[in-house]
Order: sequence, then C-alpha cells, then structure tokens
Amino acid sequence: MNKHKRVRDGLALSRALPDRSLLTMVAAMSLLIALTFTAAVGAQSLSERWARGAANLITVQVPDPDKTPVTDSHTTGGTRIEAVLGTLKTAPDIVQLHRLDEQELDALLKPWLGNTGTAALPLPAVIEVDLTPGGVLSDDLVSTLTTIAPGTLVEKNDDWRSQLHTVARSLLFCAGLAIALVGTIGAAVIGMATRLGLGSRRESVTILHELGASDGYVARRFASRVAFLSFLGGLAGTLVSLPPIAILTHLMAPFSGNIPSTMQNGESWLSILKASLIAFWQGAAPQSLLIGLGCIPFVVTLIGWFTAQVIVRVWLRRLP
Amino acid sequence: MIRLRDVTWHHGALPNEGQATLRNISLAIPQGGFRWLLGPSGAGKSTLLRLLHMEALPRSGDMEILGTEIGSRSKRSTLARLRQRIGMIHQDFRLMPTLSVADNIALPLRLQKRMEGEISQEVDALLDWLGLVERKKARPVELSGGEQQRTAIARAVIMRPSLLLADEPTNALEDSQAARVIGMLRELSDLGTTVIVATHNDTLVQRFPAPALQLRQGRLFADE
Repeated sequence: MNKHKRVRDGLALSRALPDRSLLTMVAAMSLLIALTFTAAVGAQSLSERWARGAANLITVQVPDPDKTPVTDSHTTGGTRIEAVLGTLKTAPDIVQLHRLDEQELDALLKPWLGNTGTAALPLPAVIEVDLTPGGVLSDDLVSTLTTIAPGTLVEKNDDWRSQLHTVARSLLFCAGLAIALVGTIGAAVIGMATRLGLGSRRESVTILHELGASDGYVARRFASRVAFLSFLGGLAGTLVSLPPIAILTHLMAPFSGNIPSTMQNGESWLSILKASLIAFWQGAAPQSLLIGLGCIPFVVTLIGWFTAQVIVRVWLRRLP
Repeated sequence: MIRLRDVTWHHGALPNEGQATLRNISLAIPQGGFRWLLGPSGAGKSTLLRLLHMEALPRSGDMEILGTEIGSRSKRSTLARLRQRIGMIHQDFRLMPTLSVADNIALPLRLQKRMEGEISQEVDALLDWLGLVERKKARPVELSGGEQQRTAIARAVIMRPSLLLADEPTNALEDSQAARVIGMLRELSDLGTTVIVATHNDTLVQRFPAPALQLRQGRLFADE
C-alpha cells in the first residue's frame, strides 16, 4: 500500500511510456542476443573438442617399412616398421597404436588415386598414435624414430589445432561484436522510448522539479519503469529463444560429445522439438550456455535502467 | 533571509541579446517578513518570483536564499533541497493534470517521504479550510478557476515553507475568499515564513498593510 502511494506523483509512467513497443523491441533484441550467444558457445565448444582431438592424434609415416632398421636397440623385430612400433610402445602417454593396413590406405587415398589401389606404389607405412589428453611425443623419441627409420615423418597436427583456435577466436569475436551491436541498438531504442515518455510528461516533470524533486528521484522513477519493462522483454525474448536453442543443442550434441545422437532420418520437426526440449530440460545444454541465457533478462534490465538514468538526467539539465 | 545584490537577469546568454528583464535588483527581507510585490504588467514581478524560486538563475549579481548563496555553480541537489523549503503559487496554478485535488495538495509531503497518516491529516485540514472537501477526488480539469487556485495555494502552504512566493494568488477568488487567503499568508509570516505576494489588487494591499517592493521596467524602486 505504501509503495503504491509513494508513486502517486502525477508522472503516471504506465501511460507515458510506449510500453508495448518497448517491450516488443527489447524482446526481439534479447532473442537475437540469445541466439547469437548460443551460436558462439556452440562454435567454441565444437572447436575446442576438435582441437583437442587433433592434438591427441598423431600420424607417423615410415618410409621403406620392410627394410632393416639402422639401429635397433628397442625392438626384437627385423624390419623398420616393427622397430618403430616397438619403440613407440615403450613411450609414455600413448593410449593406442594402430598401423593402417592396405585397405585402410586405399580408402584414405581413394579421393586422389581412385580405384587403382596402392599396391603398385612405394607408399610409407602409416601409424596412428592416440595420445592421452595433454600427452606429448617427446623430441628425443622422434629423434630415435628417425634414427631407426631415416625419413620417418611425425605429424603432430599443431597447425590444425592452431587454425581451429583461430577460427574459434574469430567466431567468438564476431559473436561478441554482434551482441554488443544488438545491445547498443537496444540501448538506443530504450533511450528513444524514455525521451518519448519525458516528452509526454514534460509538464509533470517540470512541476515535480519545481516542487523540489531531485534529479535522482525523477531519473529513478523513469529508470524503474523502463527496467521493469526491459526485464519483461528480456524474459520474453529469452523464453522464445529456448525451443530453437534446444533443437540446435540437440543437433550439435553428437559433434560436441555431450550425448549420442538419437536422430533418425525423416523424423518430423515436432518430434525433434519434443526430444530436444526433453533433452534440454534434462541438462543436455552446456552449463555456460544456461548461465548466459539466464543472465540475459538481468543484463537487459541493467541496460534499460542505466540508459533511462542517463537520458533523464541529461534532459533535466535544461531545468535549473 | 532573502538577499539580492545587483542581480540582473535577461533572456539569452549574452546581455546584448534581448532586453534585460531585471536590472540591478538589490533587496533584503528578514526571515518572517511579509512583502507586497507591486508594479504594472510586464514590470518583471513574475520573473523576480521565478528567480527567487530558482526557476532561473541570476546572470550577474549575488543572490542568497534562506541562507544559501545561489549561482550558476550551485549544486543541483542543493537547489532541489532548497525548493522543498519554498512554496510557490503560480498564476497558472501548475497542477498535476493526472492527480486528484487531494493528491495534488499532498505532493510536496510525498516528495519529502512523510508518513501517509500525517499527510492525510494535513490534506484534510487544508481541504476543509479552503472549502474543497467535496472536490477532493476531482481532477484539475474538472475544477473552476477559483478551485484550482485554492488547490495551488493549499499545495504551496502544506509543508509550512520557509519562503512562500505567490504570483497573483487571489485573482480567481471572490473578495471574501481572497481576504481569507491573504490573512492566512500573514499568519504564516507571523509564524516565521517569509512571504512575498505579487498582486494588482489595491484593495487587499490597503486592507493588509505591509512593506512593498515596487517594480517598474525591471528596476526595483522602493523597498518600503
């Protein structure tokens, strides 16, 4: 009751501000921010996973694999490839070693060689080395391998990882720029709405000023109303963004390794939406995404409150 | 205490832009003093009252209102606090169009965050004294000129201001009502409020003798 009476100061802001249009615009801005943020989080998550995968997988090419090794202190085998495999087995951080057989090499080179096959070509043997996360192949080990089998090539995929990181950073930068731009446009819209409200209540604001109302009081009255509308708009926009975000999260899950894909070819959008929402509700979305989405209404509220404060205080400067 | 020394005010930023409205005004009114502000239309009476209400600030000279020096460098918060101690009755009443009579009268107390019970008592007493009880829920647009003027008077006096500025406060009132209002302003003055009343009503001036400030073409000619 007291709160209701405190605001009986003649400003009647519920009729002064363009409530519906402000709410709709803020909701639209929040929707854009939510989708952009989701895209950024998704891109970052995928690039991190792919970069991690690239870093853990090393390819070793051994030329003339069937020749005798130059030195053979680590193995009991008689060929270079056996010596290299034997040396790799003694190294730490290695989870799995796999030498590609002829069929696998054929499949690998099919885009370049077609169906001709690799039998007639003097190809090196290829070994896939799967490292533990964060594991490395030491320079000494690489040196030993090249000594055993001259010309051995170890591809560490660092370039790929670096490029993926660059792509991820670029995507994040673009997303950040887009969010900042949408936020700025949102602030401008809120500012214009506040100016409209001030214009329609010019007489009442002047009377309050003459009665001794401080700038802070008038600014607070406008800012509270604008912040309330911004919060509602932010909440509405975020809620509207949830179904597409849930679908996106569900579709990306197999790539980001969160959950296995349950999608079937020819599945209807309705059933996809249903499955996506259930998965989203059960926590399929990354925590950082959920926290970010939860923050949107509050950030938008803060932008609304701050913008209204600035606009009203600047406007009041015309009064002594 | 109200003190002005060589105060000048004019439209526009520079002295040569437009005609000066107030020129070299000097006056001193002790706390609790009552002054008539007299002069022909266009002499600058309303402008002087606006200046004393700090709706405009002096272009030059010194102005002291209720013990505070006022100038273009005065803090806005200081001016706002001072205005809360000043009651102003405008010629055009300046009532809040969206508020009822009772809420208009209560507004200064609400801005000072007084208790609603206290506000209600004060408002009811003034409504009764000014004969507005039956119109307490009416909006300004539904009131006659006299009722609007009485509402404006009630709003100006409800917080027992230290300084009361009245610009033609009785021009829409009947003679008996006008005399009651001026009588009340004199009582406020006796209780310590400094009161300045701008008027054309010679009958009232003669009926309630008090020192007068005479303004002609922006100059103050007499302080007695």
